[in-house]
Amino acid sequence: MALKGKKVIEFAGLAPAPFAGLVLSDNGASVIRVDRPSASTLDVLCRGKRSVAINSKVPSGRELLKRLIVSSDVLIDPFRPGVMERLGLGPDVFLGKSGLNQRLVYARIVGFPRTSSYKDMAGHDLNYLAMSGVLSMLPGPADKPNFPLNLLADFAGGGMHCVTKILLALLERNENNRGQIVDVDMVSGTRYVSASPLIHRSNPATGRFASKRGTNLLDGGAPFYNIYLCRDGGLMTLACIEPPFFEVFIEKFIQALPGHSVLSDEWRDFPALAAQADRKLWPRLKQFLTFGFASRARHEWTDIFFETDACCVPVLTPEEAAQRFGSSDDPVKDISRPCLLNPGQHTKEVLTAELSVTEDEYKSLLNDSAIGQC
Amino acid sequence: MALKGIKVVEFAGLAPGPFAGLVLADNGATVVRIDKTSSSSSSDILCRNKRSLAIDSKKQSGVIVLKRLISSSDILIDPFRPGVMERLGLGPAVFLGKDGEVGLNGKLIYARIAGFPRTGSHKDMAGHDINYLALSGILSMLPGSHDRPTFPLNLLADFAGGGLICALGIMLALFERNSSGRGQVVNVDMVSGARYVSSFPLIHALNPSTGTFAGNRGDNLLDGGAPFYSIYSCKDGACMSVGCLEPQFFATFIEHFTKALPSDFKQQSGWVPHSSAQFDRDTWPRLKNFLELGFKTHTRDEWAAVFMNTDSCAVPILTPAEANKKEIPGQFAPLPHPRVLPMSNSDIALPIDDGTIELSPGKHTLEILRELGFTNDEYQKLIQDGAIEGSGLKSKL
Repeated sequence: MALKGKKVIEFAGLAPAPFAGLVLSDNGASVIRVDRPSASTLDVLCRGKRSVAINSKVPSGRELLKRLIVSSDVLIDPFRPGVMERLGLGPDVFLGKSGLNQRLVYARIVGFPRTSSYKDMAGHDLNYLAMSGVLSMLPGPADKPNFPLNLLADFAGGGMHCVTKILLALLERNENNRGQIVDVDMVSGTRYVSASPLIHRSNPATGRFASKRGTNLLDGGAPFYNIYLCRDGGLMTLACIEPPFFEVFIEKFIQALPGHSVLSDEWRDFPALAAQADRKLWPRLKQFLTFGFASRARHEWTDIFFETDACCVPVLTPEEAAQRFGSSDDPVKDISRPCLLNPGQHTKEVLTAELSVTEDEYKSLLNDSAIGQC
Repeated sequence: MALKGIKVVEFAGLAPGPFAGLVLADNGATVVRIDKTSSSSSSDILCRNKRSLAIDSKKQSGVIVLKRLISSSDILIDPFRPGVMERLGLGPAVFLGKDGEVGLNGKLIYARIAGFPRTGSHKDMAGHDINYLALSGILSMLPGSHDRPTFPLNLLADFAGGGLICALGIMLALFERNSSGRGQVVNVDMVSGARYVSSFPLIHALNPSTGTFAGNRGDNLLDGGAPFYSIYSCKDGACMSVGCLEPQFFATFIEHFTKALPSDFKQQSGWVPHSSAQFDRDTWPRLKNFLELGFKTHTRDEWAAVFMNTDSCAVPILTPAEANKKEIPGQFAPLPHPRVLPMSNSDIALPIDDGTIELSPGKHTLEILRELGFTNDEYQKLIQDGAIEGSGLKSKL
């Protein structure tokens, strides 16, 4: 595994940091999640990680953290700007001139840009998505967009980005033997992942996102890039953008309509094939497809378009998708139960085996409340 | 820059391939996009700092050029359906070797991006982002209307689960190559990629006991079910985002919100939300109604000012133009992100984004052939064969 032997310290935080830690862990790194002793956490992204519970408010606890970080390759800091510095664990301590670990990759994840006027404010995915400009482009009802859970800012623009940059920093370290700071903010990260629609939007001449929200090619405006309800309430996605694919689709679709030979006047003469290229006909085409899809159940449509280039496949529930892809190759592994990583579960193990903390030192740390009981 | 000196060959394709190439280019790699000679223009806007070689891969002489280029490169991005590259005589085995036979470039990282899983029942079918999202299970969880979800453009499968995952896979392979000295195949499919990025909601959905995604679509904490994690439209039609999940933030939000409401509103309503009832789901419809009506009493920017510099987790929803302005005035495209910061003063030249959103197919064919050491005779033959074309070509190399 690419990251075998690499040691990661992940300070417990929300979504993006655990996800970054997860990806590193999935690729062989040994990841230690640092929890507060009092913490109770439901972190489902804890696969393969270990946990130490350390009280950073106590001097001996901070010393312990320092030791842990000194012996690591990567640190993931999910806190607001200034927090780590106040704990005496800022980047300078490790990467500065007389730094304690000049090879450390110090990854910092914040929500709002670190130098923006929002930098000290609390926020969540939805807020970062809002500031990125992307949210305003997402389809939804007339008066507001819908948002895709907390996927775009927390995970795509946050966690995934962070990992990518950690890897780049490690690659650079292979050359120059030095660590560095990696700064991620979720507003910028979301913007970067969304470069394509944002660039199109800024350049209406391309035509791709020139129209009002919800009326473009890829945001529900096009009838042939959309979701349709089937007779049984199941859903099919349609994505036959290219004319040859649309042709394949429309041919099979029309054939499959019950009573095809006796279609009502309303639809008999509808120039379905030509409708793709004519925006004026899109509303009618959408109606036609809506009417048609409602005539059969999801599994029937699934079969009709299987192994064709119609770009028409069913919307699966998480359970159905897990069944389909739930092999050992599935990235969403071990879904039968979420992994449970109790805060401090590995404190003793990590301290004694890896930091060579003696029995006496261990007892002293407990007395200080620097660490919690395992 | 981390990837300085790394050479990438990106076969032109849709969204995910160009985005992976962009990430690599933004981090110092030199990227050559391979276009077909038949394409006179390209709609690919993710072409910042890339060069283009237009070549006919169906001609033998064209394949020879490509082999030479790929043999001297570090990374290849293959966006085609399974089998296409093999049929062109450019499959992984040619470069990485097979059955003990040495290939042309054992250090090559051969990145393949497919939509549907490469070995599954859908592997030969055409598809697009929304299809991959559909099979991933995540689309079914996204908020929307009462009978169907809405989809966030083509961001989740094409870009997050496709291009970005591909870039990540390439970097892991580069890292491994540093110790092993060998390249490898990196296989990405966008169904699996979308699933991986969506691990959090998918795992919760399959484990209802956690409570986080146990309800129906649209009724949960993070999908619009909770009034304090939602979007509200204001007096001027623009919107505010509210995301105060934690009790202390919710309390702050309610405090500032109610203080800013006109007095007659509060009188009429006769009810004020209590922060202690935040997680009492029975009160959610009432709270939602209160917030919906309340937000309509001021414009978006007025509300933005109310919550600025507080921990209310309430910020305005910006249009792309407004968001652009916040980043760097005049800059159109989102800047490469994140930036890495060495402590020392080594040169970290930012790739200059001159707003390039167009790269004509074949713009750099001549230049690249020269770099590859082609002679003028070889060049003439390529033109004769029709392996290369283009108005940019000169009569002599």
